[in-house]
Amino acid sequence: MRLADCLRQPSRLWGASIAAKLVLGYGLLGTISIAVVSVVFYTGTIGVLDQNLDGKIVAQAQRLLHRANADGHAHLIEEVRRLLADGIDSDREIFQLLDSEGNTLAGNLGSWPQAEDETEASTRPQMISADVVREGHLKPARLYLRPLDGGGMLIVGRDLSEQEAVRELIWDALLAGAGVSLLLTVAGALLFRRTIENKLGEIRGTAARIEAGDLSHRIAISGDDEFARLNRDINRMLDRIELLMEGIRHVSNAIAHDLRTPLSRIRGRLDDALRHEASVERLAGASHDAIDDIDDLIRLFERLLQIAEVESGMRTSMFERLDLGRVVADIGEMYEASAEDDNITLSVDAPESLYVDGDRNLLASAIASLLENAIKYAGPGSVVRIRAGLHHGMAAIAVSDNGPGIPAEELDKVTQRFYRLDKSRHLPGNGLGLSIVAATATAHGGRLALEDNAPGLVARLVLPLAGSQLS
Amino acid sequence: MEKRVRCLVIEDEAETSNYICKGLREAGYLVTACATGPDGLDYAIAEEWDIIILDRMLPGRIDGLSIVDKLRALGKHTPVIIVSALSTIDARVTGLRGGADDYLPKPFAFSELLARVEALLRRSAPGADSTQLQVADLKLDLRTMRVTRGAKVITLQPREYRLLEYLMRNENQVVTRTMLLESVWDYHFDPQTNVIDVQISRLRAKVDKDFPVMLIHTLRGVGYRMGATAPGDSDGGERALG
Repeated sequence: MRLADCLRQPSRLWGASIAAKLVLGYGLLGTISIAVVSVVFYTGTIGVLDQNLDGKIVAQAQRLLHRANADGHAHLIEEVRRLLADGIDSDREIFQLLDSEGNTLAGNLGSWPQAEDETEASTRPQMISADVVREGHLKPARLYLRPLDGGGMLIVGRDLSEQEAVRELIWDALLAGAGVSLLLTVAGALLFRRTIENKLGEIRGTAARIEAGDLSHRIAISGDDEFARLNRDINRMLDRIELLMEGIRHVSNAIAHDLRTPLSRIRGRLDDALRHEASVERLAGASHDAIDDIDDLIRLFERLLQIAEVESGMRTSMFERLDLGRVVADIGEMYEASAEDDNITLSVDAPESLYVDGDRNLLASAIASLLENAIKYAGPGSVVRIRAGLHHGMAAIAVSDNGPGIPAEELDKVTQRFYRLDKSRHLPGNGLGLSIVAATATAHGGRLALEDNAPGLVARLVLPLAGSQLS
Repeated sequence: MEKRVRCLVIEDEAETSNYICKGLREAGYLVTACATGPDGLDYAIAEEWDIIILDRMLPGRIDGLSIVDKLRALGKHTPVIIVSALSTIDARVTGLRGGADDYLPKPFAFSELLARVEALLRRSAPGADSTQLQVADLKLDLRTMRVTRGAKVITLQPREYRLLEYLMRNENQVVTRTMLLESVWDYHFDPQTNVIDVQISRLRAKVDKDFPVMLIHTLRGVGYRMGATAPGDSDGGERALG
């Protein structure tokens, strides 16, 4: 928004832009502080001068009169002349002695103001500011008019022209200072506004592109200021969103494929059974096969639902304190026969009293999944070990094998839903096992780490020990 | 003939209700069905039942869980199986904590339901507290944990012993893989491989091998049954297919 636009539409200026508000706010703040400084400075200089001046003039007049009373009129004239000639402060001092007719007896004024009220002037002294002619020039002055007892008047005063000059100088300086600082405030605020708008423009531009569907766009980050930090946070959030979106796309594709295949198989089988001469056995056989296939589909759905449930955050109130060693021993024992049948040596090393807070069945299912994977993918003749124990202050279950393992570049992909290595596509499975294990680990405040066992794979499920779970 | 089992089915979805009732009647049960929460509660309280099968989500403001709740509050210990489309771990745990005896997620095979119903009925029946189980010539001494078939002593691992004990206690009844996992191993999850089948075949190798009569029978797609007669010989096989 240009300044001109702002001025044309005041409501936009006030309502729409934080920067505009800041400009106005700082401008106002600047003006007020300048005014305060000026007032303080002015009263501290000119004000003090003004106040002291009147006192000095009156004191000087009193002193003069004191001498005149003692020594008579002639003395007063003489004293005035002496004071004017003494060279002390004589360029500012004003003395004028008048007789009762108003004629000058002594003094340095060419003209002087007349008392406005004759009767009053003759009886009362007064302090006035007026212009007088002195040394041929009209000059501002502060005058004390003191009527004398025997008629006539004494005028004592100060030439203010110098003081006026100072006052004017101060005023000019203050005005110039105010003007410059106001200008700087406004300019600074405008600059600030432009910087903010530039920075926000980048964020808004990115937001617009993401809204339009380009999830890969990120905000450019420069420096390490507040905006850079905010942008980094936003970029991190976008990374996460992109990852999730990619996951959803991947899952939808996988579901579309993985469900279509068994569904078309079921359909084909039933269709085939109906179209040909249908004996009871034939129909029964087709029904059985169809039910088996549908059961597989239901199992697939159950697994997907389970991932969704575990990922959306388990209620930790459902957790119980349990001995992980016991669970590992149970599941290890459960799979010993299966491993033996596949000509795999399974060794179980599970000391008791490894307590964690968690869902016993979910953890058992996760351990079973890891074992099933190891037995299935390590292949006949290999050795599978499952160990429970402490690992860097946490409870850990490590399932290791000496089979073909997983290529390093695919290690972090295998926990994605439906992800299957190309070489294992011929084996039964749905590519959900490790996703559930990873989700289960996360739900328990732990994680699943897959590492190279050189040769083979180590899958390590790490969980917080009982009592150390973050609430 | 022994007294027929009285069974109450509370299920609002007509087709599922028919499917359950038909199956139970074929299994020889006396079945009463109702379709709403309030009706279900009235029936459940007013009459004596041997078992109640109820849907968790019911129309009419009273859901399955509150029926169980009221029933238990009245001191009735009628076995209750909840069948529900809510299959999450949370839903199962709240169902079981709420006083239900078993929880079966939909969709389910009728054979699974029937197996669970029969298991519950046996559990609630005052059984003879015997010290020995016997199926045909297979004997299991509960005190000495000695297993013999005919004259041959059979040596079993602890888990195999518990598996055999469970099968023998449920003689001539269908037991599913999930039931075995829950009762013998005390876990509730769905193994992706045939780990239970492998355990059974181990046991079978020790119990049935070298004997003319098979005692442990596999029911395809359902589970297992222990008995001197093969599944096809009695009503068991047909019934299990649902």
